[in-house]
Amino acid sequence: MSILLLVLAAFFLPLFPASVVFNRLAAANDHLGVRLALFVLWPQIGVLLILWSDLAVAPGLIAAWALLSALLYAFRMLTVREVGRWSAMLASSAWPLAWLYALQTPGVANLVAFTLALTVAPVLMLLVCAALTTRLEAAYTGLHGGLARDLPRLSGVIVVTTLAAMALPLFPGFFALLAVLGGATLWMAIGILLTWLLWSWAGVRLLEGTVFGPRSGPIAADLTVLAAWGLSLLIGVIVAGGLAWTGGAL
Amino acid sequence: MNLSLGRRLKIRSMVHMAAEPIPNLWPMRTFIHHNPLHGLEDLPFPEAVAQGEALFHGRGFLKRADYQQWLALGRVDRDSLEASIHATVGEYPALQSIDGNALIHALLTRRRDPVTCQRAFASLDDVAATLAGEAPQAPHGVNVEALADQLRGAFPPERPFYEVLDALFGTRTGETLDELLIKTCLDFFDEGQSAWQMPGREKGLFTAWSRLARRNLRLFLRGLHVHRIVGQADSPEGVIAFILDELGIPEEAWPDLIARELTHLHGWAGFIRWRATTSHYYWAREYPADLVDFLAIRLVLALALVREHASRWRMPGNRTELDTLITERPAECYLRHELFTGVVLPPLAERVEDVVARGRPAEVATLLGRYVPARRRVESERQARALDDLAELAGMPEAFRQLDRDHLGRVLDELAAFEKREGMIWLEAMEAGYRHSLLARLRWEPPAPRAKRPFAQLLFCIDVRSERIRRQLETIGDYQTYGIAGFFGVPVSFIALGKGSEDHLCPVVVTPKNLVLEVSTGAEKLDTDLYSSAEHLLHDLKHSVLSPYFTVEAIGLLFGFDLVGKTIAPRAYNRWRHKIETDKPSTRLLVDKLTREQADSVVRALQRVIIVEAIHKEFGIERESITDAMIRELREAAMENHAGQTQFARDFALSESAESRFIRTLQGDYRINRSYAQMQLERLGRIGFSLEEQTYFVAQALRSIGLTEGFSRFVILTGHGSHSHNNPYESALDCGACGGSHGLVSARVLAHMANKPAVRRRIRQQGIHIPDDAWFLPAFHNTTSDQIQLHDLDLLPASHLVYLERLRNGLHAAKRRCAAERVPTLLPEGAPEPDPIRAARIAERNTVDWAQVRPEWGLARNAGFIIGRRHLTEASDLEGRAFLHSYDYRLDPRGRLLESILTGPLVVAQWINMEHYFSAVDNERYGSGSKVYHNVACRLGVITGNLSDLRTGLPSQTVLQDGWPYHDPVRLLTLVEAPFEHARAAIEGVAKVRSLVVNGWILVMILDPATDRLYRFVEGEWREEALPDAGRDATDESAAEGAPS
Repeated sequence: MSILLLVLAAFFLPLFPASVVFNRLAAANDHLGVRLALFVLWPQIGVLLILWSDLAVAPGLIAAWALLSALLYAFRMLTVREVGRWSAMLASSAWPLAWLYALQTPGVANLVAFTLALTVAPVLMLLVCAALTTRLEAAYTGLHGGLARDLPRLSGVIVVTTLAAMALPLFPGFFALLAVLGGATLWMAIGILLTWLLWSWAGVRLLEGTVFGPRSGPIAADLTVLAAWGLSLLIGVIVAGGLAWTGGAL
Repeated sequence: MNLSLGRRLKIRSMVHMAAEPIPNLWPMRTFIHHNPLHGLEDLPFPEAVAQGEALFHGRGFLKRADYQQWLALGRVDRDSLEASIHATVGEYPALQSIDGNALIHALLTRRRDPVTCQRAFASLDDVAATLAGEAPQAPHGVNVEALADQLRGAFPPERPFYEVLDALFGTRTGETLDELLIKTCLDFFDEGQSAWQMPGREKGLFTAWSRLARRNLRLFLRGLHVHRIVGQADSPEGVIAFILDELGIPEEAWPDLIARELTHLHGWAGFIRWRATTSHYYWAREYPADLVDFLAIRLVLALALVREHASRWRMPGNRTELDTLITERPAECYLRHELFTGVVLPPLAERVEDVVARGRPAEVATLLGRYVPARRRVESERQARALDDLAELAGMPEAFRQLDRDHLGRVLDELAAFEKREGMIWLEAMEAGYRHSLLARLRWEPPAPRAKRPFAQLLFCIDVRSERIRRQLETIGDYQTYGIAGFFGVPVSFIALGKGSEDHLCPVVVTPKNLVLEVSTGAEKLDTDLYSSAEHLLHDLKHSVLSPYFTVEAIGLLFGFDLVGKTIAPRAYNRWRHKIETDKPSTRLLVDKLTREQADSVVRALQRVIIVEAIHKEFGIERESITDAMIRELREAAMENHAGQTQFARDFALSESAESRFIRTLQGDYRINRSYAQMQLERLGRIGFSLEEQTYFVAQALRSIGLTEGFSRFVILTGHGSHSHNNPYESALDCGACGGSHGLVSARVLAHMANKPAVRRRIRQQGIHIPDDAWFLPAFHNTTSDQIQLHDLDLLPASHLVYLERLRNGLHAAKRRCAAERVPTLLPEGAPEPDPIRAARIAERNTVDWAQVRPEWGLARNAGFIIGRRHLTEASDLEGRAFLHSYDYRLDPRGRLLESILTGPLVVAQWINMEHYFSAVDNERYGSGSKVYHNVACRLGVITGNLSDLRTGLPSQTVLQDGWPYHDPVRLLTLVEAPFEHARAAIEGVAKVRSLVVNGWILVMILDPATDRLYRFVEGEWREEALPDAGRDATDESAAEGAPS
């Protein structure tokens, strides 16, 4: 029974090749609301399944498999240019780390919060994806670069969201990675750091293909001031929430 | 492959011709402003701009949105714009029939984007149907053959083959190739910045590189088998021929392909081009390189990359294989081309990427069947929407919907043709705005005669920055100012104290014949003090290979103090540094020609000093032990004028062999021999100016500015330059007429000549009487702080000393007033306007603030060049935008002086103007981008980041403000005050200037003071224009009298 639960969990806290299911689902739905719900709820199902199961059956195998999945998708992020798929790849790379964290037997709340912390950046990136698609017909990097000059507010949001995706300090992803690194063995730590490095690399490539460089593409309207403030407030709340959670739980 | 001499020469000439459009790039130590399209100046301006766009991918005009903003600010002449619209629409009958004036007006002033869109698939019927609100006709299926032809058209043989791979496979080989080549250039052209030098540089660029590349492990590991290519020929020309044959490029396409290859890195190519033709440049003599070497290396690397991709990823490796690929898989190639050139339809981009990655023919065909109709629909919708928007803006919503198919087609063609010409319409309207504002400010009345001579006369450079300080000086006191090219008409090749190379202090179009040497007066000892020694030691530690690792640990804190001082209180810190640093020793210039005897004496004296040193070094014998006679004898022996044993050998018991060995050492190591002495004599012969030359230059300078009488007590020759810290572009702020150097040396040279009694006597015979109490005093105008510092005061006659304080007061006050006018433009928007004292302080801080990216605006906003008497501009605020050259046509009956002003200063000003123009309209391509990302490369230029082409042009901080052009990009408006025929003959007499005027690179007006008429050169002819106001009240009678018949 426990093994069955673990296999099922591999679909929700995606481990390759079961992760294909999540990525297919994410690609199949264009509706923002559906996508957001998918991104928020999907990994939590996995968390529940892990909690019901017994990870002790093969901890080494699980850890290796999770790390390889995380690395694989982090590497894929380097070549993916569609921002929606990029978000799904980021999630597929980040969520397997919850397995590693779970192996450190944290409390239920912490595991849920850990997974949420790693979900924040992909979710924000979905919002960016929607904003880009509305303005430029598609959120495809490299087609319409140099947005910083004409769309400064949207560019600001893209930059901050990408920093969150790179799990830089202050963002919840950073503290989640610190938490998992705190209890990791040496080879696990190397694998996690390598994954982290690939996220940063992929993030820089994403910024190069959207915000920086010479401006190309059609003229588009920037985010409204209200929307920009709204997104800033959301990011602020996320950062503040992350900091509060860090202080209490880690 | 061994090429015949004829074939090699043919390839060399191809490279030479292909490089013609690439402008020279000078090292930044002496920044030369130049026109980035200099090589295209024989074409009319609009054509050259279009060709520049094709070659350098740079924009020649501002974006429409920028012009619209300037129109709103009143910096574009609205009347001129309207008139141009009206005149242009008259040429387009289809537009005229639907109220083209209103449409074009709306297009220019209210729409940001072009209205005509590129259509590859959408037909006119599709656009018409979409405009009518109907769906385009059903798709007819995709013509795959047509797609293949379209692709072949996109890949002509002159297109570099790696670009084809990039466009079809997204390989970015072009970027990789540029990186590899730039690394090679950084290695080879280094001028002392690197701790380890590239070996074998003296053999030349291609030879040195190919020797290294043959055994370069990194290239080998990347799969780039360079040695296989380099080994195919024994010369760079042979390598070029082999590679182009290998790639299957037909020979008729070689010249165009070579031009495209060279323009890829036009900064490096421009530098190499300049370097290869500059015989006096030390680094070029030591380490030769030319564009053939550069091209050969580029092609070797390109072929290696192509071969690597072809073998590893099964891509085509030459044009034959490319043709096969397009023939066999046209649909896939088309989709690949769409994706990797960035024109793919955004909503289908991801799908296209997936399908071409898998490369399954059935999937490709299905996607193509979906993609082409979607593209067709998008194109027709985009075009229809643009037309509808324009019609709405013009207040004629139905304007295009009512048109039949043919009429719509003609209208679209005419709109497209208009949009191609639009840049010139905006440009001319901006220029009209400046022209009207300039003419309105000029004073037409004749000058009132002076009651007495002025307290001081100051000669400033024609530079636009002189305009402000001249005006302020004339406002506050009894000063008279003149404008003259900053080298004061004296071309000088200068060797500064302690330097071994010559700097040419004159416009780059002039080659100086005379050399001026700076020598110490000996008033201060030249021994190195502790501070200087420590500074040198620190420098060596910083720039060696290993020492920085422990230097940081050991003395890094010292740098911390330096850093804090420079950042927190730059003015105070620099004052303190000045106190502990060694002052520059006082010097004199060797301006007078040496006689043969003097030169001989100098050589002998030098040889004697060397012999004393040699004796000390070889035998440890001190000077007091040897006599002058011994030294003389040894010298004669070394020069082969003496045979037999020398006194020195006898006194110090040297054997015959030891003596002859020492003599040979003197001849070889110490270069005391006949041929070297002869060479020294020839070099000394270049030093200085003969009395005739000095007389000529002084008279020419004074006559050219109209200063032949009424000399005051002080005639101050003000050279200019700029001081700033941490600024590789410092020399761009220096004097363009002095070859990008400071103008002080030129001022000192002319002052030396003009103060010489013998010169004054000779000049008097030419009718220029300089009174005995008139003293020519050199000065330096620091354009960053506006401080004017007097020089060579130790030579000033005692009678003048009492007036010195008054002079200094005046200069100081003018400096403050000038700063108060200038500094607010450097402050952030909304900052309170500083009073003169505070403004001067801010300007001074800018000279030492290492964090300041914009110490001054330099020559930004230059727009006019006025050749005439000062009364025209004396009372006007020209906002530091006009070059002012004093000229009195009455002293120039044959027009020779005017011709020389047009040949030198005007051409230099045009280069400056065009450099600013293109840097402002396209700062990324023609300018050098933001300074913030610049790094100094090889000590000769700057690159962006750690690897880029050598940046040409001006940085954004010089021409842009908050992302918008601060510099008004307009062509130089030249106004000549002289009788019409006189000025016209001079302009047409100088071939280069005539070409610039006829081709529209310079705009010219002639103000005829004798007839009160104004003429302007428009569309190939001179047209009389009305003066901006009622004209002058009185005729300039003196002008009429003095006018040449």
